[in-house]
This record gives sequence, structure tokens and C-alpha cells, in this order.
Amino acid sequence: MKDLFNRFFGGRNAGRSKDEAKQRLKFLLIHDQVDLTPAQLETMKNEILEVIGRYVEIDAASTEFKLEKAEDCIALVSSVPVRRVVERPASAPPTSGTPVPA
Amino acid sequence: MSECIVITSGKGGVGKTTTTANLGVALAQQGKSVAVVDADIGLRNLDVILGLENRIVYDLVHVIEGECRLKQALIKDKRLENLCLLPAAQTRDKNAVTPEQMRDLIAKLKETHDYVLVDCPAGIEQGFKNAIAGADRAIIVTTPEVSAIRDADRIIGMVEAAELPEPQLIINRFRAKMVQAGDMMNKDDILEILAIPLLGVVPDHEDIIVSANRGLPVAFDEESLVGEAYRRIGRTLAGEADVPMLDLTVQDSFWTTVKRWMGLSPAREVAR
Ligand SMILES: Nc1ncnc2c1ncn2[C@@H]1O[C@H](COP(=O)(O)OP(=O)(O)OP(=O)(O)O)[C@@H](O)[C@H]1O
Ligand SMILES: [Mg+2]
Repeated sequence: MKDLFNRFFGGRNAGRSKDEAKQRLKFLLIHDQVDLTPAQLETMKNEILEVIGRYVEIDAASTEFKLEKAEDCIALVSSVPVRRVVERPASAPPTSGTPVPA
Repeated sequence: MSECIVITSGKGGVGKTTTTANLGVALAQQGKSVAVVDADIGLRNLDVILGLENRIVYDLVHVIEGECRLKQALIKDKRLENLCLLPAAQTRDKNAVTPEQMRDLIAKLKETHDYVLVDCPAGIEQGFKNAIAGADRAIIVTTPEVSAIRDADRIIGMVEAAELPEPQLIINRFRAKMVQAGDMMNKDDILEILAIPLLGVVPDHEDIIVSANRGLPVAFDEESLVGEAYRRIGRTLAGEADVPMLDLTVQDSFWTTVKRWMGLSPAREVAR
């Protein structure tokens, strides 16, 4: 009914395309600024995970790596869930959630 | 105390020339003496927008190469005698001028004018570097589109790298209806992304095309809403505090009101 009404009164495209524009822009500007493409970021992520994997067993499927705009810099924010320690328990790092300035 | 302001954008076709012409008119209407400089060498346009194309004898490159005196190249606007234009050369390219030469030229213009407005070419190369060389500050023009805002962000970085003060923003071709429907970024969305102070919002309007046809900048038109937008920006630019921004809200039609009442239309979003 609502659909029909909207179509009748020309509201068919009542989309909020500006939200999409804004999201895309934010992403774009961050990547422009660090000059790192999404593909390069993916490669970096895999290399970092490989190193972490030498020390702890991680849940690769639910790791997160993204660039975010912080106060004065772009931050690389990562979340890597750890299942258990592989070796040398004393020096094994905890789940990382610390921003690293890019 | 005179000042040189460069009008720039990165992306082409967003309204730099239109803005330069109209702000020149708006400032001159307030009694300031204004020189507008076309720095788009090889693609001159400011003369046409101002309707002064038939009176060009000498241009910016002639002045720089010493073929004429600065005063000989300046074209006085007959409608506003304290407004004048320094046209760009049409048959030369951007490399005919260096940033040092531009800096000297602007310094000379500042001796005899309250404001020198420089219309910057699109892009980030030589033409841009020449245009900002003599500037004391910059105005960034953008439209509410992803590509224009992305380029604006890049240019803001370059303006800061050139050690100019924080630039101000003009949002051009604003369409209140689309903003209201959620299909165009609003003022706050854009400011959140670009994070520089807003100087004004200019609506997208057919008056601009008519005025370009006639060579009569819309700021001359007392009746025009866009003209009013430029006149207000001109007042802010000249230092007047708290000039109210134009109300660009769309008046609801009967059916929009009914739809909103039934919860079928998005809530209002306003330009101011
Ligand atoms: N507010 C507006 N409403 C409607 N049309 C507009 C508006 N502003 C600019 N335009 C149109 O957009 C076109 C480009 O404008 P303008 O030449 O001022 O842009 P520009 O940034 O100087 O371009 P370039 O990068 O090529 O120098 C022109 O046809 C102009 O009429
Ligand atoms: Mg132009």
C-alpha cells in the first residue's frame, strides 16, 4: 500500500543516495591521503597476520583491518581475535586493538 | 590594506569563473576597488562572463613580458567603475608565466586595489601554482558531488602546503529539493568531510545561464536569488560579521505535506 502510494506520487526513487555518496567519499579521502589502495591494504593485512600467526593462533575469519580518520592522523585500526598461544606464552601479545599512526 | 584572494577548486567546471565574476561585482557594489585576474591562460573565460571580451587589447602575458604597462591592460567595467579585469592570454599556455612573475604582478595590483580576485584554472599543475603564487588566502569552490569534493580535499591540502591560511568554502549548484529528498549531500555533510569554514551556499539556478548569455553577472540582478547569494558572500568577504545565509528551503507542495504527514516522505533537511 505504502509502495503503491509512493509510486503513484512519484516517490519511486525516494532513496537516500546521499548517504552512499558520503560513505564512499570518506573511504576515498582516507585512501587518497595514505596513498594505499584497498588491494595493498589487503596484502599488508595478510603479511601482518602471518607474523602474528607465528606467535598465537588467530581467528583469521573475524580479523578486521581498516583505516580510520582519527583526531590528527589516519589510524590503522585492527582487531585480531586470538584463540590460543602457540609458543612462548609470556611474550605473546594480547588481542590488538591499538591504533597505529599511519 | 588590500588583499589577494584566489578562487580555486581542483575539479573543472564547478563554478570558479562564475564565482570570481560575481564576487568581483559584489565587492565593487560595496564601494571597494576590485581587480579580477583571469589566470586561466590559454582558456580565458572571465572576460566573457563579465561581458568585457570586446574591449581586450592587451593581456596578462603582455604585461609580464613588458609589451605594455599594467594600466593599459586593465579593462574598466562601465557598469561599475571601481571594477576592472586583467584578461588572460588566449593564444599562449600556462608556461608563459612563472610564479615569481605572478607574485610581482599581484603585488602591483594590490597597490591600487582593495581586492584582487584571481580566477584559477582547473587542475593542480603549473596554472594552479601560478594562480596561488600571489594570493593571501584562498576560496575553494565545490559542488555537492563525490568527485568535486574529493578534488576539493586535495586542493585544500595543497593550499595548506603553500602556507596560505585555512581556506574558506563555497558550495555551488546546491539543489534544495534533492537535499530534502536525501539525494544530495547537505551543507553539514560536506563540512564534516572537508572541515574548513563555510563562506556561503549558491543555489543551482538558470539565472546563471541567462546571465552568462548576456555577459551580465547575476550579482547585478537585484531580483535574483542567486544574485542575492553572491551579494551576501561579498558582504562576508568584505568583513561584515554574521551576514545571514540565504534560506534555500523548498516550500512544501500540498502533496509533499500530505506524504510527510503520512510518514512517506523523509523529514525536512535544510540548507542553512
Ligand atoms: N550556480 C549555478 N547554477 C547553474 N549553473 C551554474 C552554476 N554555477 C556554474 N554553472 C554553470 O557551470 C558551468 C561551469 O561554470 P564555470 O565556468 O564558472 O566553472 P569553472 O570552474 O570556472 O570551469 P573551468 O574549470 O573550466 O574553468 C557554466 O556553464 C556555468 O553556467
Ligand atoms: Mg573557469
